[in-house]
Amino acid sequence: MVQDPRPTPELAPDEAAVGIDAGTDEFDFEPLWRVRLRLAWEGFKRNWALFSENKVGIIGLIIIGIFFVMAIGHPILMATLWSDKQNIYDPEIGYDAPVKTLLVVEEVTDPETQIDPERAKLFDASLKAEVGDTVNVPQQPAPPSLAHPLGTNPRGNDVLSQLMFSTKAAFMLGLVAALVTVLLATTIGSVAAYFGGITDTLLMRLADLVLLMPLIPILIVLSGMFQVNLVILGLIIGVLNGFGGTAIILKSQALSVKVKPFVEAARVAGGTNWHIIFRHIIPNVLPLSFLYMMFTVTEAIALEATLSFFGLLNVDMSWGLMIQIAQSEGYLLRFDTWWLIVPPGLAVTFLAAAFFLVGRAMDEVVNPRLRAR
Amino acid sequence: MTTTREKAGETGRVKPGESLIEVNHLTMDYKTKEGRVSAVSDVTFHLKAGDSLGLVGESGCGKTSVALTLLRLQASNAEITGGEILLGGVNLLDLSEEEMRLHRWSDISMVFQGAMNAWNPVYRIGEQIREALDLHWPVKLTHEQSRERIAELFELVGLPPEAMDRYPHEFSGGMRQRATIAMALSCNPQLIIADEPTTALDVIVQDQILKELKKVQAELGMSIIYISHDIAVIAEVTDHMGVMYAGKIVEYGGTDEIFATPRHPYAWLLLSSTPSITGPRRKLAPLVGEPPNLMKPPSGCRFHPRCPFATDQCAAEEPAMEDLGGGHLVACWNHEKVPVGLSETPKEDL
Amino acid sequence: MLGYISKRVAQMALLFVVFLTLLFLLLQAQPGDFASQFLDPRIPAANQELIRQRLGLDQGMWGQYWTYITNFFTGDLGTSFMRYPKTVWAVIVERIPRTMFLFTMATMLSYWMGFLSGKMLAWRRGGKLEYGITLGGVFLYTVFYPWFALMMIWLWAATLEIVPINQFLTPDFWLDSPFSATSVFTAMIWSSVLVVGGLLVVQTVAGRMKEYRTQVLLRRTGRVLVFGIFVWYWASSSMRPFAADITHHAVLPVVTLAFIAFAGVMLITRGSMLETLREDYILTARAKGVPDRIIRDKHAARNALLPVVTSFILGLAFIIGGGLVTETVFSWPGMGELLLTAVTSNDIPTAIGTLALIGALALIAHIVVDIVYLFLDPRIRVQG
Ligand SMILES: Nc1ncnc2c1ncn2[C@@H]1O[C@H](COP(=O)(O)OP(=O)(O)OP(=O)(O)O)[C@@H](O)[C@H]1O
Ligand code: SF4
Ligand SMILES: [Mg+2]
Repeated sequence: MVQDPRPTPELAPDEAAVGIDAGTDEFDFEPLWRVRLRLAWEGFKRNWALFSENKVGIIGLIIIGIFFVMAIGHPILMATLWSDKQNIYDPEIGYDAPVKTLLVVEEVTDPETQIDPERAKLFDASLKAEVGDTVNVPQQPAPPSLAHPLGTNPRGNDVLSQLMFSTKAAFMLGLVAALVTVLLATTIGSVAAYFGGITDTLLMRLADLVLLMPLIPILIVLSGMFQVNLVILGLIIGVLNGFGGTAIILKSQALSVKVKPFVEAARVAGGTNWHIIFRHIIPNVLPLSFLYMMFTVTEAIALEATLSFFGLLNVDMSWGLMIQIAQSEGYLLRFDTWWLIVPPGLAVTFLAAAFFLVGRAMDEVVNPRLRAR
Repeated sequence: MTTTREKAGETGRVKPGESLIEVNHLTMDYKTKEGRVSAVSDVTFHLKAGDSLGLVGESGCGKTSVALTLLRLQASNAEITGGEILLGGVNLLDLSEEEMRLHRWSDISMVFQGAMNAWNPVYRIGEQIREALDLHWPVKLTHEQSRERIAELFELVGLPPEAMDRYPHEFSGGMRQRATIAMALSCNPQLIIADEPTTALDVIVQDQILKELKKVQAELGMSIIYISHDIAVIAEVTDHMGVMYAGKIVEYGGTDEIFATPRHPYAWLLLSSTPSITGPRRKLAPLVGEPPNLMKPPSGCRFHPRCPFATDQCAAEEPAMEDLGGGHLVACWNHEKVPVGLSETPKEDL
Repeated sequence: MLGYISKRVAQMALLFVVFLTLLFLLLQAQPGDFASQFLDPRIPAANQELIRQRLGLDQGMWGQYWTYITNFFTGDLGTSFMRYPKTVWAVIVERIPRTMFLFTMATMLSYWMGFLSGKMLAWRRGGKLEYGITLGGVFLYTVFYPWFALMMIWLWAATLEIVPINQFLTPDFWLDSPFSATSVFTAMIWSSVLVVGGLLVVQTVAGRMKEYRTQVLLRRTGRVLVFGIFVWYWASSSMRPFAADITHHAVLPVVTLAFIAFAGVMLITRGSMLETLREDYILTARAKGVPDRIIRDKHAARNALLPVVTSFILGLAFIIGGGLVTETVFSWPGMGELLLTAVTSNDIPTAIGTLALIGALALIAHIVVDIVYLFLDPRIRVQG
């Protein structure tokens, strides 16, 4: 026998499970669920080893971890450190205008040229002061200080509190969108691949159609016509993704699973169509599904921020909305009030990037062709 | 472009009967994350111009690695740790990358294992052959001349000349393989390395192509190194052969002689496990066990874990190549113990 | 080949009708009908009924659907609420060239840059530079786009003052211009299209030549000729200063949008190139003694291009969305900006009309890419 010395390819979890499955009746082997659990655990360890080789993926996970801490940190802070200052730190209605003491140095003779119009409204017209006096000016927006590590916004809200509070919204939206996407795309992809024929044609034409729909314009029109909140947005993104591109990709994966011997074996053994789809095809498509969950989260976060930025979403507070507030109050194209736009902008970017990086690292686990030689 | 051609001519062509290529103690490892894979270890063989040499061995024993190293096309993680490859007296391992490039195809060409994918899908077959001609033909050919040359080549390998204007996907597997051979012949190389050129084809096409190859080689007087795991194929086309096991050549000599009296236990088992259509019916001797993991090759003789003749010495010391006379070399401590003739057992029970 | 193209066009037309139908259903899903939403309730009921009739709202769903579809294909998109009494079509039509300009320029720029840099990244595999550029690419790919655009404006326009802030022309400068902005714009677009077309023709004709040297010669002279004519046309045209003004305004939005799309293209090219470099035919080319640069450009990049072109279709929605954000942030008066203002000012007819036309543009881009692909991949070409 001429044998290949190279390591034999890993059995797909299903093949291995079927092999042991047959023995459980006669022998007193460990119960099936424990076998599955052990196989899953071993698979996880193996994949984790591959994943952790990729520094980029680890960086992504760390960033996600930091944001997660921020998300759960907010209610904790509200309950502890900020508990008696809710009226200051509440992300929506909190208000504070830290007072800054200024020394009057010069009399204004020509307000037109000497006072920049943005700052002019900081001053109380009734304020009477002579050169040499000190005056107390309430600042709004206020730069970072001990009480407000990231300053306050033009409405007097604490930026850090808003930033942390919005993290939860981002995670929730991402979760809804990703779950819906994966649920739909996996099912549709598997069903289309398994049944083929007219089912396949219809579903794939539908996917083509969805793919062609310009998502942002549609969401803009939708949010103009209906009240769109985070959950609805997550659902819409999930549905559009799940019927569209992700379904196409998962279908091609399901096709390659469909021709594996264990599917044929299950069919010969009399498995019903749905049994085969749910027991054999979907579990083998799932790794790729998880991968696309990551990319969906990236997309959802970016979309939410964009729509909020346009002021079209019905949300309490979100990163996009924070920038929108800065914009509507006229603090956009200037860098002296950087704390209004840089933190939320970076938050959106980093969290989206983190999920994208994790997705890419997972891609290398799932898709061996991409691995470094 | 002109410099290309002048330099390529420099090596000069080796006269028939003189030594064309000498591989001495070639050793090459692949560096991987898990460790070093010793894929080619102390490989030595010589080939005269006009001769043909077969390399045979199980899958994974390093045949392709040897072939690629001859062209210096080994994978990027490969490291040549010793030895030399002399082509007409020039050590290829000492050449610069650019000098080596000029030797490729004009002196040594190759028919790849799995030539199905050896063609770039977006260019016509003819264009791809013309690329080689443009790079290596001693004089610049006009469009008509190169088409003529390609037509000639196609005729040689039994393809209709019109086919040169087609794309690879319009060729059948057999046609593609013939075209691959035509391309390998295109610049009149001194040596062609054919790495399992027929494995993916059905038996009839395989046979036709082998015959074609043999005929062409005889006509054009070029040398050929023929690589296969199928010992019957080697018997058909080569004068000399080397049997490889786990990165080493364990037996080397005239093809007929090795077929008649294999001296290395591995070669003996390999021959015995090959069904013979013409010879007497016999039970196939079992080649038990698996080829070794080249990451940790066995100590001493690399074949000892599977060898029916192994002794304690085998595990401890590596046998050196021993000349049995007439250029028949073998690396085995116990080659006298190997029976003459194949492991014949009467056939009733089959 | 023609058969294939017409089949695709027919499919796309069908898709478009489905898309329109979905938009119609969307309209229907709104609570109440148009009249009840937008008519002043103080108008007497009889008159309301009259208006309903005139608007065709009494026709029932199928009737309304039919009117809607036929109107659409006769270019009747209704009347704009916010720009009353202008028709929606009139409002949109002046915006189409501007959006097309932004979109095509940014797309071509990003694909060109992305492909080149992705190719180099894959070729120089490993090393700090590759790592850095890949991370930078990921950052650009996931950056919060409106924010990034604002940063670009802040840097280049507000701080460095190299390019103007916002708008697509300098109004004072155009006050007594003999040309309308749209006509200058159209000329600019046509000349760019002709340049691209001319280059394609040169490439194809040169490819047909038998001798390699003639090919190179033809290609070079052809390119010089095409660009020469382009330069000559604009140098002698009296529209030149106005075109220059528009270009000056267009640089930043185009570059910003291109940057965003560029990152995705680069990452895809890199992946596709890495896979291509592993193909057997690359090894064959190396064995043939083909110089590295030619292996990279002629053998690897040419094949790596195929998935990149396909990815355009997947990225289409992305770049259209990006274009919309760009228009809004840069106050570039195109269809995206129109859509957003229409939505925020509750001008539903304009919003739906614009959305439908954006969809149509996406379809056309899709078909163009299909045809490009046809030329790039001989495996499809023959099947017809
Ligand atoms: N790039 C590489 N990196 C690491 N190991 C490799 C690499 N290429 C080949 N190998 C290993 O080196 C050994 C020899 O491989 P090679 O391809 O030369 O074998 P072969 O004799 O040609 O086998 P086959 O008959 O299957 O073609 C094998 O064990 C293979 O797994
Ligand atoms: S040296 Fe020993 S182990 Fe190796 S082949 Fe000869 S007898 Fe067998
Ligand atoms: Mg091989």
